[in-house]
Amino acid sequence: MGTGLATRLTIMLLAPALTLAPASPAAARQRSAQKTGFTLPAGSGRTILLIRPSIRVGARSTGGMFEPNGDWTDQARRNIETALAAQQQALGNRVIPAPIADGDAARLVADYAALFAAVSQSVIRYQFFAGDRLPTKKRATQAGRFDWTLGPGIARLPGARDADYALFLSTSDAYGSTGRKLLQIVAMLGPGIPLSAGEHAGYAGLVDLRTGDLLWLNADRAMGGDLRTPEGAARRVQQLLADFPGSTPAPR
Amino acid sequence: MRYPLLPALLMLLPAPADANAYRAQGKPVRVARTMTVTPPRDWNQLSARPGRKAEVWTLDGERLNAVTWFGGIAPGEPLLREPRRRRTLPRYSDAMLLAEIPELLESTYRSAGGIADFTLTTAASDPFLGHAGIRFGYAYVDADDLPRRGEARAAIVAGLLYIVTFDAPRTDYFDRLLGDVHRLTDSAAL
Repeated sequence: MGTGLATRLTIMLLAPALTLAPASPAAARQRSAQKTGFTLPAGSGRTILLIRPSIRVGARSTGGMFEPNGDWTDQARRNIETALAAQQQALGNRVIPAPIADGDAARLVADYAALFAAVSQSVIRYQFFAGDRLPTKKRATQAGRFDWTLGPGIARLPGARDADYALFLSTSDAYGSTGRKLLQIVAMLGPGIPLSAGEHAGYAGLVDLRTGDLLWLNADRAMGGDLRTPEGAARRVQQLLADFPGSTPAPR
Repeated sequence: MRYPLLPALLMLLPAPADANAYRAQGKPVRVARTMTVTPPRDWNQLSARPGRKAEVWTLDGERLNAVTWFGGIAPGEPLLREPRRRRTLPRYSDAMLLAEIPELLESTYRSAGGIADFTLTTAASDPFLGHAGIRFGYAYVDADDLPRRGEARAAIVAGLLYIVTFDAPRTDYFDRLLGDVHRLTDSAAL
């Protein structure tokens, strides 16, 4: 069902918004943006609260339905957490893990993780993809505003009092089943329809813990790295945190 | 992968030739081909429509806030678009009373979005479009695991059903924008 959007977004994440700094001058398409005027130099003395990553791994059936796979998701979580721990030092500022929450606090964390994913998807579609840009967002961008927020209620997150910013990471991976891959070949050879076998989306975002404003976002619906392997997870984390404000560039 | 109801409906449509439209503050505009609205603040109208007689207004994209206008739904018609060969959506009937409209919306959400967790929270008589109407609230969890709240207003005029719904994440967005949505829907007229 999502093939149309995913394919379209992959192709169309091109034009940089007027006042958003592109991830890299050489980047062929925009997948990263930073709020105008926001800076976070390395060693600034600021603290980043690392929210437990939201990870979903499964298979895409022949019909395009997502079938979650618990084993793959567990593997991916272990691999991502190991890769994050290894790359945390390169972020340039103090990073603390969000405390383990339960009950209402856990629900609040889950709600904000889901809200972050929804905001990221909206930024991809309505800010990064010039063809779908919302007129009011276009005007805000021209006026120098990057108008995306999770709201000031984020200050209630467990651990928020001890930090300045929250770092959210979210990945969603659907590997194509054998039937899906066969259908992909048939669709291409027959009517010539480009059909994606799977989906490998990832979002990383830095949020102001006082205002809820999105300060930096790196989001792509077509990321690399097989999260089921340690090497793949390391590659994904490196991609997610590429151009993180104040970070040391990872060796390519 | 199951997608949230409204984004899924909008992405099923072919990419429209027209861009999303600017709905400027204070400028009267026709909505859903039947009603007139004077927006008290700037809004965007999405070019994709979830139904033949529906259109969506938003500030940040339909995942974060969506005002959906349904204009002049006739007896026998569903609220949302559905595949011709799979007509499973509930239909408006001229035997329906205003008090039954919340149930029509609930069953539409359940059928179209596969939403299992849907609760009607409030319902009260309230004029809409200058006619007797109903205002009701609801809450649900969509396929993206993001809990959302909604508020709808409806009226039946000359046998046709008019509804406007507002859907937004319960975290921050719903409460923050509800006042804007009230002022917007208060401006609606036939």
